[in-house]
Amino acid sequence: MTPLFALLWDTLDDRLKLRAPGRKVANKVFPHHWSFLLGEIALISFVILVLTGIFLTMFYRPSIDPVVYSGANELFGGRRLPAAFESIVRLTYDVPGGLLFRRIHRAAAHLFIATVILHLLRIILTGAFRKPREINYHLGVVLLLLAFALGFTGYSLPYDALAGTGIRIAYTELLSTPYIGDRLAFWIFGGEFPTGDVIPRFFVFHVLLLPGLIIGAISAHLGLVARQRHTQFPRVGIDGHRWIVGKPLWPSQFAESATLLLWVGGVLVASAVLVPWADIVLQGPYRPGEVGNNAQPDWYLFWLEGALRLFPPIEFSVLGMTVSGPFFAGAVMPTLVIALLVVYPFVERRVYGLEGEWHVLQNPLDIPLRAAFLIGTFGFLLLLSAGATNDILSRLWGVPIETLTWVFRILALVGPPLGAVGIFAYSKRRLAAKGQTVASVER
Amino acid sequence: MTDGTAPGSRQPETTPVADEIGDLRVIARDDPPPSGANDLIVMGAASGAILGGIGFAVGLLAGAPLGFYGAALAVGLLSLGVAVRRWITDRFPDIDAVELRPGPEPSGPIADVAPVPRRSFLGRFLAVAAGVLGLGLIAPVVSLGPAPGDALRRTAWRRGSRLVTTDGQPLSPADLSPGGVVTVWPEGAIGDETAAVILLRLSGEPVDPTNGDWVVDSTVVAYSKICTHAGCPVGLFREQDDALFCPCHQSTFDAQRGAIPTFGPTARALPQLPLGVDDEGNLVALGDFTEQVGPAFG
Repeated sequence: MTPLFALLWDTLDDRLKLRAPGRKVANKVFPHHWSFLLGEIALISFVILVLTGIFLTMFYRPSIDPVVYSGANELFGGRRLPAAFESIVRLTYDVPGGLLFRRIHRAAAHLFIATVILHLLRIILTGAFRKPREINYHLGVVLLLLAFALGFTGYSLPYDALAGTGIRIAYTELLSTPYIGDRLAFWIFGGEFPTGDVIPRFFVFHVLLLPGLIIGAISAHLGLVARQRHTQFPRVGIDGHRWIVGKPLWPSQFAESATLLLWVGGVLVASAVLVPWADIVLQGPYRPGEVGNNAQPDWYLFWLEGALRLFPPIEFSVLGMTVSGPFFAGAVMPTLVIALLVVYPFVERRVYGLEGEWHVLQNPLDIPLRAAFLIGTFGFLLLLSAGATNDILSRLWGVPIETLTWVFRILALVGPPLGAVGIFAYSKRRLAAKGQTVASVER
Repeated sequence: MTDGTAPGSRQPETTPVADEIGDLRVIARDDPPPSGANDLIVMGAASGAILGGIGFAVGLLAGAPLGFYGAALAVGLLSLGVAVRRWITDRFPDIDAVELRPGPEPSGPIADVAPVPRRSFLGRFLAVAAGVLGLGLIAPVVSLGPAPGDALRRTAWRRGSRLVTTDGQPLSPADLSPGGVVTVWPEGAIGDETAAVILLRLSGEPVDPTNGDWVVDSTVVAYSKICTHAGCPVGLFREQDDALFCPCHQSTFDAQRGAIPTFGPTARALPQLPLGVDDEGNLVALGDFTEQVGPAFG
């Protein structure tokens, strides 16, 4: 240690008594596996989102009032644009580094949501949600939903043509809630779409409310991991139920995390150079009454978009309320999927009569119900997502859109149950061939 | 539960521990061999980080293209990662260690100060009071938006509203050639999305359930442009079968037959605008839509 650093450390330690807790932290053992880094990459992406987001917030104007753009971009020069869109054109073309930070922010947003989803998959695949970690698993599901909301509001803020379409559909979803839909939509949007309040409000959601909730939820998430300790993969000769095996925080885990931070940052910056993320010039600003082809949301909402496209035409009145297709596709279906994610740990525990605590990770094929749940649920979501590209596929393959829509309708209904039953039968046979049954107590 | 002590019930009969460094229980240790090559890597990577940092700052300030200063920053970050990693792995042994998982919690109350015996009613009453106060705090939610009233059931169209284009031009039936399509608004409400109307001249005379009283010049009709499914503008017109098509979710409407849905996720026709011609020959509305415009609610 350099003398200056040593002096600083001694001064602090003398007053705060850091030596004992410091050694405890430095000696903390972290189990090692590449898949344990997915959540860490999500955390790093979030940090990068906050840092780049602070820069973007300095320039963004949360308003749809028309202003005349007078900057360097020739396409928009002298045109009247919504202030939000204008401020982003200005940030992109007239502020040095503006476009780079916008692109990094967008790339980090994709990586954040992708790694949150992969992290959730890792947790479910390996059974890390088992007792005593159900609460942290549920916190993770909450974080996933917050990440979706953060992504959607961020996607909306530029107020480009695509954003306008997204906001419109979100408004319709709220509107479709029986009885209180119109009030709900007016409370959140401040009036009938397209109201001037939606962009200022989405701005508050995106830069204050949602990041605040996410920071709180991440803190609790990490706090619970620290308190309950990490799960680990089985290791020959060591009782993982009793012992945590891994590398100490200092120096191995520190080296791992520090390089991961720098490399994820480096890759995001490189992608911002190579990929024109967040290019809104082609889209143009939102214009009332207009919508272009390829009106797709970001990829992580394809499952909802696909459901809206595939759900059959239904609209009826009952008990004084109007129920329509978008309510089933955009509210009932997602609620059921989330509910399934939430209750699954308890279902597995009950079905297999599990006892005690579980700290060692498993192969999902060793638990037939889990394999079936995974293939069924995520197969359904993937097929719905594929359905959201039916217009593009129709053009690409020259197949009529009507045919493709029917193909996806049938696939989404039949595929997941078939896949679930298939994998269930396969994993049962596999267990039987090995002469094993599903363990009910960790050994 | 502290790290050094195992609970009696879980006294490990075989501990995997091979060695101890301070409080750390080591099961495997791998010391890095001295290596000159590693020093070279660290030096090289750290130099890359320096160059990357300088390249980014100078490039940004000097107005270089994004590709230059972006690449410099990427190289800088990636190189620094290599340097940090190599520096640490060359300086410290690679250690696998174990830690005892926390055992069962000690029993006993969570707090040692217990209440003296009292009637339980007051405690419950207090909980109810806090609950009522909390529910009362929800009231400000109502301030967040105006009461919908009938705002969603009417549009800006009035009897006599002239149909104007997005540029504000009024239209007469002669402005539309067969297969012609134009987005129109009520005069004075251009850009008011729920009032958006698609005006078409069909290739043949429309049939039921089109309202023939609202068809002008035999083949000119006007429908709400807002999709009855999710509220997107029905942006596309397919001339060969007079189909209106929504690019968002592919709802398709038959403009010949009262814009009834023929495919896709919507269940309701696009409302037809009561259309007429005023004394000057301009297309006008005969009144507001008589059906619900846009997606279902309520």
